[in-house]
Amino acid sequence: MKNESVLILGAGVAGMEASLLLAAAGRKVHLVEKEPMIGGQLIKFEEVYPHMECSTCMVAPQQQAVLQNGNIEIHYLSALEKLEGSAGAFKASVKKKARYVSLANCIGCGACYDPCPVSLENEFEEGLAAARKAIAVPCAGALPNVPAIDPRHCLFLNGKDTQCRACKDACVFDAVQFEDKDETAVLDVGAVVVATGFGLLDVKQNPQYGYGEGKNVYTALEFERLFASNGPTGGNLTLRNGQTPKTVGIVHCVGRSELGYCSGVCCMYSVKFSRFLKHKLPDVRIREFHTDLCVPGKAYQKFFEKTRSEGVEFVRAETVKIASKESRLQVLYQNGGRGEEVFEADMVILSPAMIPAAGAKELAEVLGIKLDAKGFFAGRPGSLSPVETPVEGIFVIGCAEGPKDIPESVAQAAAAVGKILSLIPHEAN
Amino acid sequence: MSARIGVYVCECGPNIPDRIDIDRVLEEISPLKDVAVAKRYRLLCSNDGKKYLADEIRSEKLTHLVVAACSPRDHEKTFMKVCLEAGLNPFLFQMVNIREQCAWIFSEKSEATRMAVKYIRAGISRVTLHEPLLQKEIKATPDVLVVGGGIAGVETALSLAGQKRRVYLVERSDALGGTAARLGRLLPHQGTDMRLIQEKIEHAENNENISVFKGCEVEDIRGFLGNFEVSLKRSGGEPPPEMFRVGAVVVATGFALWDAFDPDVTGYGKIDDVVTSLEFEAMSASGKILKKNGSPPRSVALIHCVGRKEKGYCSKVCCLYSLKFAHQLKDSQPAPDVFEFYSDLCLPEKTDQDVFEEAKKRGVRFLRADDIRVEGRNGKIRIAYRDGSAEEAVEVEMAVLAPAMVPAPDSDRLARMLNIPLDETGFFKEAHSMLDPVSAPISGIYIAGCASGPKSIPESVVQAQAASGKILSVLMLGKTLEPEVKVSTIKEELCTGCQTCLNVCFYGAISFDAFRGVSVVNEAICRGCGSCVGSCPSGAISSKQFTYQQLFKEVMEALR
Ligand SMILES: Cc1cc2nc3c(=O)[nH]c(=O)nc-3n(C[C@H](O)[C@H](O)[C@H](O)COP(=O)(O)OP(=O)(O)OC[C@H]3O[C@@H](n4cnc5c(N)ncnc54)[C@H](O)[C@@H]3O)c2cc1C
Ligand SMILES: Cc1cc2nc3c(=O)[nH]c(=O)nc-3n(C[C@H](O)[C@H](O)[C@H](O)COP(=O)(O)OP(=O)(O)OC[C@H]3O[C@@H](n4cnc5c(N)ncnc54)[C@H](O)[C@@H]3O)c2cc1C
Ligand code: SF4
Ligand code: SF4
Repeated sequence: MKNESVLILGAGVAGMEASLLLAAAGRKVHLVEKEPMIGGQLIKFEEVYPHMECSTCMVAPQQQAVLQNGNIEIHYLSALEKLEGSAGAFKASVKKKARYVSLANCIGCGACYDPCPVSLENEFEEGLAAARKAIAVPCAGALPNVPAIDPRHCLFLNGKDTQCRACKDACVFDAVQFEDKDETAVLDVGAVVVATGFGLLDVKQNPQYGYGEGKNVYTALEFERLFASNGPTGGNLTLRNGQTPKTVGIVHCVGRSELGYCSGVCCMYSVKFSRFLKHKLPDVRIREFHTDLCVPGKAYQKFFEKTRSEGVEFVRAETVKIASKESRLQVLYQNGGRGEEVFEADMVILSPAMIPAAGAKELAEVLGIKLDAKGFFAGRPGSLSPVETPVEGIFVIGCAEGPKDIPESVAQAAAAVGKILSLIPHEAN
Repeated sequence: MSARIGVYVCECGPNIPDRIDIDRVLEEISPLKDVAVAKRYRLLCSNDGKKYLADEIRSEKLTHLVVAACSPRDHEKTFMKVCLEAGLNPFLFQMVNIREQCAWIFSEKSEATRMAVKYIRAGISRVTLHEPLLQKEIKATPDVLVVGGGIAGVETALSLAGQKRRVYLVERSDALGGTAARLGRLLPHQGTDMRLIQEKIEHAENNENISVFKGCEVEDIRGFLGNFEVSLKRSGGEPPPEMFRVGAVVVATGFALWDAFDPDVTGYGKIDDVVTSLEFEAMSASGKILKKNGSPPRSVALIHCVGRKEKGYCSKVCCLYSLKFAHQLKDSQPAPDVFEFYSDLCLPEKTDQDVFEEAKKRGVRFLRADDIRVEGRNGKIRIAYRDGSAEEAVEVEMAVLAPAMVPAPDSDRLARMLNIPLDETGFFKEAHSMLDPVSAPISGIYIAGCASGPKSIPESVVQAQAASGKILSVLMLGKTLEPEVKVSTIKEELCTGCQTCLNVCFYGAISFDAFRGVSVVNEAICRGCGSCVGSCPSGAISSKQFTYQQLFKEVMEALR
């Protein structure tokens, strides 16, 4: 008999959608997420194109539904370590790191953060934010709203101060549990869905983009946090010296020619950035530097045209370089036949190529799947559907399969569910 | 029997008592009419708390429950479940948010306490007016109607059909496969992969659980999720095949190519050897890419974006299939010169750019061009265009136009019949363009493939599988459906028949009963959003659990 449970790796918008649909169909879902929270990249964004809908408001109901669904078991801070068996009868070993805070007891009051003496950089805020503590939720509004203790930095857990119990003492709900241990769960499942999403190309590798400490050159994800009202500046668009930018350059296609593919969504989110900027700073001057504008489908060109009509400048630019000039920045570029031009800016935003999520290669090895030439998971050759991997019973959805936007990620999630429900029908049927 | 209301204030650890004087609150609440008990508890959402609450409901013989605690977003469902387990109708319960709305926002404890009392009084006043609503169950048919037999329709049928689930696949033309079956080659999979499409079509034709109706269209359809009645008509006026019942409908009617282009600009229909992309595909499928005079072209222009400006959108796949044409032309012996005239190259999929780079290597010329005009000159075709400010021209022997993709003809008729909207481009509109791209706004109706906008074949196939996934998780074999409970109702005596509400309802839940002259809500479709309630000029509509009386009492108490 085929096992009806499903293992889903990654709780971004794609993994959550797949989990909810399978759970609605009565299937047991094991949702494995490497972070202590769910939601993926979308919870970092203030608004999403093309309707400029509030991103967190859009995904929060989905996150809540996942948290409250009795058919979905979430494994936080977890990773797939081993997979044996075949379609209909996989055996998955999932390594779970200890959270040191009880999900059942904690109500998310936050009383434990202040007493903690350790101060650390907050990765979620792309390094822009003030510090976080060794016991913390990754971001404001994280779901579930339950902190985790970072054992590398917690003084008690790393042995630097065997007396420190600051958070435990502060918690009146008895939620802090230092005795938590890492553990390995062995799960029987019939199918596996890879939904591990994407990362961004590291722009530090390429000095041409002038990215570096203290400079007003931001990556797309940094800018999303800078604009977010729950972000490090409360949504105040300021330069590192606290001043308001008067001119902004947005550079598309960062890394495209090196990597050999277009990421499909950067043009659209770059245009979104102009909307953000114009919305908060109506007088700001913006120039977007693009190669080919990619605004595919029935709704996206209008979004671009509307933004352009608000006075945002769009220029076709090749070999873009960013240089510093006194406290300002210079964007140097080739403008087609017109030769080299220079744009002076207070702030530059880089839109780097989307690349496979960190650890994709190791995961592929565990799954016994070959990645494609670009390092993404890919559909089986000879299949029209990109969600069916070469290994029967293993599916790939969302940006784990390649760069794409929300609707396409969600459609792939539902598609994998369609395949799973029709390949492994409920036994009573 | 008189009401016995139980009021429970959760401390939420220190969260609430730090900022609200709970004993004071209980003192004020206890004497109120119908309040049987008013108590505090440390943490009601904990397992002990839930058990305590259930015991209280039973032992105190409560008829209504009010919980003053956190946001209903956090724990309304939790406490409704407790009610259900303790034998109290969960709709006879009201949650009052005194944490986010009092404790966390007022700096003065006295102010927070005063407001908490008001809110709890408001909750008590409304809960006695609550009705014990019941979850209904609706029997559903698992069978599915798929309208349109292109690759999206065929894939949907194949994913859904099974021993106990019949799929009715209705195709207007006399063949399955749509445009995909008429292509000469397939990208991104180069080569002979057209076999894949043919295999799918054969599987659909031979599947005993799929009833294929070619040369047919939907004549009429009525009903709602789980229960649609469908009748078909056969083109040519032959007797309609049959009537049947389905639980869900998938719209997979695909696209057409825009054909309203100006012959003076494109040369189409005026100059020999100016063809559309689909005409080129037909030549390619027949293996003969030849000019009208029977000889192979020595130079070919591929013109992208025909109609992009007029339509106001990019059709997403034309760049890619034009690259496919270029490769195909370069495969022939001797290989012709190939020029691609484009505005922006749109290559959003991860393998698209490889196809482009390869084409460049093979000598295909890429020209970014504006204001393209196709002119006839001495039996040759002259492509005049603007590159920046310079006027340029190229002479070729054949020109292939890539026209914009537009909705399938008569989409508006089908939309009216199904009562679902089109968007401003004329394609079918999604329930939510971000999070629910394969559903129509009305439950039970789904959209797949190019019916909702231009897409590639893999994307269309993904959407077909996605629609199937959605259907399989809703229309489960042997399971009934549970529609929304807090729906709207229309008081017939107050309804003037103005039909304002019909247009307001996004889900198409309201219809007009012409015989009685009143509007009627279909409770199986209504999602309880309340839009119609606010729109009705006669105040005839009210929403269960949000009646005027309930809201009025609640607001009055909160303001008192
Ligand atoms: C700057 C920027 C702006 C954008 N703006 C928009 C927009 O406005 N509109 C739009 O439609 N799209 C936008 N996008 C695209 C959008 O972010 C993606 O389409 C979407 O996030 C994809 O969802 P996903 O679930 O595939 O991946 P993700 O959101 O990346 O989620 C993947 C999840 O998997 C987890 N994970 C990773 N590896 C593992 C592992 N090995 N084991 C377990 N878990 C793992 C991650 O922690 C994460 O929770 C934007 C992208 C960027 C970069
Ligand atoms: C020239 C050209 C080349 C292309 N090449 C490629 C390629 O190489 N690779 C790729 O991935 N994509 C390619 N595409 C895109 C591809 O054709 C579409 O993605 C695909 O055909 C969409 O499938 P569909 O089922 O949604 O729509 P369609 O193929 O349009 O099928 C819809 C079907 O529904 C029927 N129908 C319409 N209305 C009704 C109604 N009211 N009642 C009943 N039946 C109805 C139609 O007769 C048709 O059979 C190309 C497109 C064009 C124009
Ligand atoms: S661990 Fe305790 S103190 Fe920290 S947030 Fe959770 S309940 Fe509050
Ligand atoms: S409540 Fe909303 S869904 Fe129900 S009939 Fe009124 S408008 Fe339609």
